[in-house]
Amino acid sequence: MDSIDERPISESQASPSNGDVAAAGPDYASRHQLARERRHTFGIGLLKGMAVTIKHLFKHNTVIQYPDEVQDLSPRTRGVIALKEENCTVCMLCARECPDWCIYIDSHKETLPPKRAGGRQRKRNVLDRFAIDYALCMYCGICVEVCPYDALFWSREFEYAEFDIRELTHEKERLSDWMQTVLPPPALEEGALLPGQPDAPAVAAGAAGPGSAQRPSPPSAGTAAAERPEQAMRPPAAAATAAPTADAATQSQQQAGETQAAASSAAPATPTEEKAPAGATAETKGPDTKEPEAIASSTEAASPSPTDERARETSTAERSTSTEPATSGDSEAPAVPEVARGPNVEVPSEAPRPVALERTEDPEAVYQDVLKDQLDKGSSPQVAEARAKVARVKAERGIKRAPTPVETDKMVPSAPTKGQPPEPEPSGAPEAQDIEPDPGPVAPEGGDA
Amino acid sequence: MHIDIVLTAWQMLIVKLLVILTLVPLVSLVGGYALHKELAHLQHRLGPMYPGGFHGVGQTLADGIKFILKEDIVPANADKTVFKLAPALIYVPAILLYLVIPIDKHLIVEDLDVGIFYILAIGAVAILGTLMAGWSSANKYALLGALRAAAQLIAYELPIVLTAAVVAMLAGTMSVVGIVEAQNWPFVLWPPGIGLVAFLVFVTGAMAEMTMPPFDMPVAESEIITGAFTEYTGMRFIFSFFGAEMAHLVAYGAIAATLFLGGYKPIVPWGPLEHIPGVIWFVVKVVLMFFVMIWARFTWPRLREDQLQKFAWKFLIPVSLLLILATAAWILYAPESLWTR
Repeated sequence: MDSIDERPISESQASPSNGDVAAAGPDYASRHQLARERRHTFGIGLLKGMAVTIKHLFKHNTVIQYPDEVQDLSPRTRGVIALKEENCTVCMLCARECPDWCIYIDSHKETLPPKRAGGRQRKRNVLDRFAIDYALCMYCGICVEVCPYDALFWSREFEYAEFDIRELTHEKERLSDWMQTVLPPPALEEGALLPGQPDAPAVAAGAAGPGSAQRPSPPSAGTAAAERPEQAMRPPAAAATAAPTADAATQSQQQAGETQAAASSAAPATPTEEKAPAGATAETKGPDTKEPEAIASSTEAASPSPTDERARETSTAERSTSTEPATSGDSEAPAVPEVARGPNVEVPSEAPRPVALERTEDPEAVYQDVLKDQLDKGSSPQVAEARAKVARVKAERGIKRAPTPVETDKMVPSAPTKGQPPEPEPSGAPEAQDIEPDPGPVAPEGGDA
Repeated sequence: MHIDIVLTAWQMLIVKLLVILTLVPLVSLVGGYALHKELAHLQHRLGPMYPGGFHGVGQTLADGIKFILKEDIVPANADKTVFKLAPALIYVPAILLYLVIPIDKHLIVEDLDVGIFYILAIGAVAILGTLMAGWSSANKYALLGALRAAAQLIAYELPIVLTAAVVAMLAGTMSVVGIVEAQNWPFVLWPPGIGLVAFLVFVTGAMAEMTMPPFDMPVAESEIITGAFTEYTGMRFIFSFFGAEMAHLVAYGAIAATLFLGGYKPIVPWGPLEHIPGVIWFVVKVVLMFFVMIWARFTWPRLREDQLQKFAWKFLIPVSLLLILATAAWILYAPESLWTR
């Protein structure tokens, strides 16, 4: 039983007694030595293997029993992609870069009246539909990487299995709900250049108010900075768009001009920026800053259409250009709020929980709630009951209830948006209900008689 | 209150058979569970944890029920009678093996005078079932597996028979109880060397005969899809494959413990150890054998088919022949004072 070790040698190894010395080649000596060594340790390999496995038998087991124990996932876990809808400019980069083509975006153009008398009309894109088909998604994260306006984020949530594959297509409402679960960014490295640090005017403008309108929400900005260090190194997008390209016609132009704009706006500011305290630069990203809402309320009154995000941005951007020269000088002026952070943006250091518990719900109530909800939606009783049970278990364990899947009456993958009749696709796969099974060679009736 | 139950020999035999008939499936279940758990922990996993409540104790039972409830499919081109009969021919010999295993001196169904011979003969019958299963399935993988199993049985039955002959020579009897009684010191310790090597050869041959890794070429689920059992489903599969495997594993563990480790007698003839009941000694030894066989099974790499045959014919059989010579020399020339019985 111990000679198993020797088998490969006796077969593959030229043995000197067989007269193969000449044919064995130049590495004969080393091979011969190897064979000799193996012969010395006759059968030891088997015992070594036994020792390895028996050690593992007595080692502490690190298995996490998932439904009962929840693993402490890393903060950057790729669970689900969240959409910050107001940041999306329908530039379609994510949809085009997606290797699986699992992102569906529909939009339409709206014409806005001119800002000033005699000005020209503006056009902007309005997002109608943003959907990610998680049945196709392979979680590569390219869409998150490629998004120039920080509209897509990774969330750690991963429990969104469905009984119906169609419900794995998360529409924008559900994708936006995931935003609540996006974690704040991790701490930057020691001595890392802070996002926004070299750009004092932007900081000043942000402190003045409207300049930060286009800036993503606090966690988002930090997330972007942490995930994309190269972006953290350069001035934030807010400054870039707030400066000369404020009236840029299209978003793609904005994006293209971003770097030069940033450079030009940052250039005059460098002397002041060095003097500016780190806290002042960091405060615009404090997680508790309520600026976006405040801005929204202030600009909503001014802008022609209150819900019009784009218009707000352009208007605030214009205003920020005007305020920029005035405020750039006294960048130390803005009061540092209590959330001001040190040179390294700190992040809650405690182990992040899977989901922030917002409220504890009575499991039974959740069960009844979901059951009724599902039955009303027309799910079959079994499916409804199963979903209700899942919700009850989650409530019992304190896992936040995932947003109820958005009901969609579209076929998946679906191109047409709401209101539009589904057009027959010119090429590619026909829709499922259009497929008629090939009847094949059908014998005429009674032909076989 | 004392009840006198007087049974005739026939009634006694029926009771014993009923006990065995319930014991063997139970052994299959417990053995399967132990295998799951030991394998899992050797691989740094937990194994089954949910069925049955406590650490998955109900796993094998749930598996068994699941398999029994599954559809029993017989391939259209199969030789249906033979196909259906084969699992019984595999499982029944596994049960029959237990008839001559002494759990204690008197806890044995029947102490045959030719106990070892019976074990070897019955152990070889199971291969007939495997061959029938492979041939009647009308499946090339099943046929390959069956032929490999047959070739393997022939190759590895010889070392088993020869080492069993060593034991019979040392004990001077073929009765299993007689062999245990002959081991004042277990054969694995005495005569020095001969017993140990014979024990290793016997266990290796037993592992190969059960077609368990590292000798699992006849099964080789990654290459020929569990060999002879490719076409089996449901209850026939669970009985011919897992059930028989577990029953054989425990049976061969018990046989090795009986022949070489002193069975129900203490491992060394030392005063305090003699007070421990024989049943406990037997169970401890069987569990030990089971543990070590599974430990080796899931540690070592598998042998290729040709390596497997070479290993038997070129190594194990010569070694066991030498063992017979050595045993004969020991019996003839060792001084009487070295004998322990």
